[in-house]
Amino acid sequence: MGLFSDIYNTVARFFRPQEEQEEGASKAVAANRLKLVLMQDRTNLTPKILEQMRGELIDLLSKYLEMDKELLELNFEQEGDQVALMLSIPVIRAKDEDEIEEALKASADEKTEPDEDSEEIVDEEESEDSETAEDAETETNSETEEPVEDSSEEEAPKPKRKRSKKVSHPEEMESHQQEESSQEVVFENTES
Amino acid sequence: MTGRVIVITSGKGGVGKTTTSANIGTALAKEGYKVVLIDTDLGLRNLDLLLGLENRIVYTIVDVIEERCKLKQALVKDKKNPNLSLLAAAQTRDKSAVNAEQLKDICDKLKEKNDFVLIDCPAGIEQGFQNAVAGASEAIVVTTPEMSAIRDADRIIGLLEAKEEIKSYKLLLNRVRPNLIKSNDMMSVDDVVEILSCPLIGIIPEDTGIITSTNKGEPIVNDENSLAGKAYRNVAQRILGEEVPFLDLDEPKGFMAKIKNVFAKLKAKV
Repeated sequence: MGLFSDIYNTVARFFRPQEEQEEGASKAVAANRLKLVLMQDRTNLTPKILEQMRGELIDLLSKYLEMDKELLELNFEQEGDQVALMLSIPVIRAKDEDEIEEALKASADEKTEPDEDSEEIVDEEESEDSETAEDAETETNSETEEPVEDSSEEEAPKPKRKRSKKVSHPEEMESHQQEESSQEVVFENTES
Repeated sequence: MTGRVIVITSGKGGVGKTTTSANIGTALAKEGYKVVLIDTDLGLRNLDLLLGLENRIVYTIVDVIEERCKLKQALVKDKKNPNLSLLAAAQTRDKSAVNAEQLKDICDKLKEKNDFVLIDCPAGIEQGFQNAVAGASEAIVVTTPEMSAIRDADRIIGLLEAKEEIKSYKLLLNRVRPNLIKSNDMMSVDDVVEILSCPLIGIIPEDTGIITSTNKGEPIVNDENSLAGKAYRNVAQRILGEEVPFLDLDEPKGFMAKIKNVFAKLKAKV
């Protein structure tokens, strides 16, 4: 029977659409594992540090956005000889100004609490974050009207909007923004 | 307890040293023995990928040597089998980060608490090879039935013979394709053994399952239906001192099998 089933499989394969063949195949698993490993190799960041970075980014962004933390993706991608950090966040809704203010206050209180020794470190963190924070604020402003639309269909599946935070050339960024939907927000970050 | 330290080496790259290390290690651990796998291919580590442990590595062998962590901390336990652990190579350093003395020291420490210490050797015959061999007392030379691999294996056997610490070495013939041997297009097992005059410990058939198992990070010995998996399990048995006959890799006999065989031969000739 082996021969017939072999022939059948070979013939059937010709007629199956390409996507169907790819789905569930081990090559997809391989590609995903490889991407992760190469990212670690290229950046020399251990899984532990990546997890920490992810946590800190979530803390920062949740001041401004309500998002699905489980689905947040953090990836490094190679673009020519540059490494880009891609951050994809499924946003549930943007917070309104009052909420943002409250969150900022809460985090400011947290920061004043620690003793003098640790304060220095906190200050560094703040200065590092400030650029990104500003960007994030302008972004929330541009989207404040949206939650109204969304709230009417709360039962619907969570909207998944992609955000990316990447290092890239300005020209690339423009084209990138045009390509994808207007909800795409690109943070510029000069660090590499 | 004093465990056995076995180095898995080949000379030539790409013949299946790492696959062999992962599978023999997993097979021995499945038999209930405590096994540590050491990846000594600094800068080009891959054993972690084959075992599916790439995301669990925090410390590497270089961290142990440079005393950034304890040896025990750097051992990554296998997902399925707690008897199996991995000491990963550093990906960002090169072979000069480690010397033979240091590796021997690590092997000596590990063999006190484990039944087997398997060392995955880098390709080549330079420092990396010398390091990997330093702590071992047995060797498995992996080769395939191809001219270049056999020539390199012969060179490795010569180097192993010159090493006093290596008490025994055995040959593992990988990626054997019975169809090609039958059509006289591939050297047979007997040919290779005769050329290298080295005792045989295993014959592993070419198996496309190896590709999928690598993709998934799951050694093929865990697949009960795979012929290559069975061949690797047999190698583990032989390491344990059992006499297991070599697998009969000939095509199954029967009407359909014969027809299939004709097709295979035709395909091989094209």
